[in-house]
Amino acid sequence: MGSVGLALPWEHKLLAVARDGERRVESGKGQAETVRTSEEPPQDAAVAAACLSGNLQGYERLYQWQGKRMKNLARNLLGSPMDAEDAVQETFLKIQRSISGFRGQSSFVTWTFRILVNTCHDLRRSRVRRKDQVNEDVDSLPPHKELRAPGAHPSLRMALESALDRLSAHQRDVFLLYEVEGFRHAEIAGMLEISETASKNTLFQAKRNLRSMLEPPRSSATGAI
Amino acid sequence: MSIDCNDRRRILLDGSSDEWAALEQHAKSCAACAKELRAWKQLSVAAGELRDYQESPALWSRIESSLRQQQAAPAPPKSFWIFLDSWRRISTAWRSALAGAMAILLAISSVYLYKHPARPVVNQGNALLKTSALAEVERTEREYISAIDKLAANTSPQLNVDTPLMASYREKLLVLDSAIADLRAQAGENPSYAHLHYQLLAMYQAKQQTLEDVLETKR
Ligand SMILES: [Zn+2]
Repeated sequence: MGSVGLALPWEHKLLAVARDGERRVESGKGQAETVRTSEEPPQDAAVAAACLSGNLQGYERLYQWQGKRMKNLARNLLGSPMDAEDAVQETFLKIQRSISGFRGQSSFVTWTFRILVNTCHDLRRSRVRRKDQVNEDVDSLPPHKELRAPGAHPSLRMALESALDRLSAHQRDVFLLYEVEGFRHAEIAGMLEISETASKNTLFQAKRNLRSMLEPPRSSATGAI
Repeated sequence: MSIDCNDRRRILLDGSSDEWAALEQHAKSCAACAKELRAWKQLSVAAGELRDYQESPALWSRIESSLRQQQAAPAPPKSFWIFLDSWRRISTAWRSALAGAMAILLAISSVYLYKHPARPVVNQGNALLKTSALAEVERTEREYISAIDKLAANTSPQLNVDTPLMASYREKLLVLDSAIADLRAQAGENPSYAHLHYQLLAMYQAKQQTLEDVLETKR
């Protein structure tokens, strides 16, 4: 292994993560099958039907089923737990307003996350606009980070977060939906209204960009090939 | 299965599990592929650091009470805004079909709004704008138009690319333009009707966001 060289500065932390045994151990394509749990058609249809009937318990079931994942995605897109909660709340309100328009052309979860992603984009944009009014450069605007619950590897997380901020919104969405939330490309395609191939390509570009951002400069990458 | 370094990119992008196994096998004797594969997997592992599924004890009750409030509130009248608000949630395949239907709905909505001019579409206070408020609203509209013109010039090369995504954006912009033209005509006839201006502003905002989305795809 030593002959391969450790190209990424945070590699030792990754090894520690892998040793924890709690995280997915990569094999094959590099995605743990255990997190691909989003497709549960019976529950999906039942929750959609309950929401359609106007029963608030339907929304509660949706929240219990997907709420944590929704908030996690929103937090990664917006950089703040408080904004994330606002985005999740707004998403539920939008679902209630437009549930009669849901025709099952995608799964209910896909539809829900499409609304969530759009809501996060709108929130992010409105924050950029507010900043814009005080003459700040849009591209230099960092998401306003807040303290999170202490993670095992804060510096690794911060490095990745800061690299993600430099990706295009599209690449960031796909990376977070696929690698963090464990959605399949077919689901992501439905959420972002792109083709499955486009989702795969975007993930590839995102990972390639992240890799180059997280890799140390060539001169100091001893052992890198 | 026999693969070499030239297959790596394709497999990383969209390889079958057999191909991944073959790449792993190949990487045992190829340092370049081993390094690449390793970095690739590390990113997936690192992504786990962004997974923080903690309970948010107060969030559900907050959502529930806002859902209850919204449920109890009278339904707003059908308006362009509502149609456009749901536009983004409709699959691309539906959009073409809906574009036609939308034109009809826009016409119906126009008649509705014409017959119910005093009913505010959103909670925006008075139905009639005072002169000073009207001047302010018109100034905002002019700012939107100017910003949109600039954006439109920037997005024009991107928009004309022949991809399904761009076709969908073009369709959406057509519908927005048609709604804007319609509202502007109505606002021209009834300049002090607040709801027309609010809808127009919402429409401009939707157009600006759409153009920004187009620009975003280029980044
Ligand atoms: Zn090789």
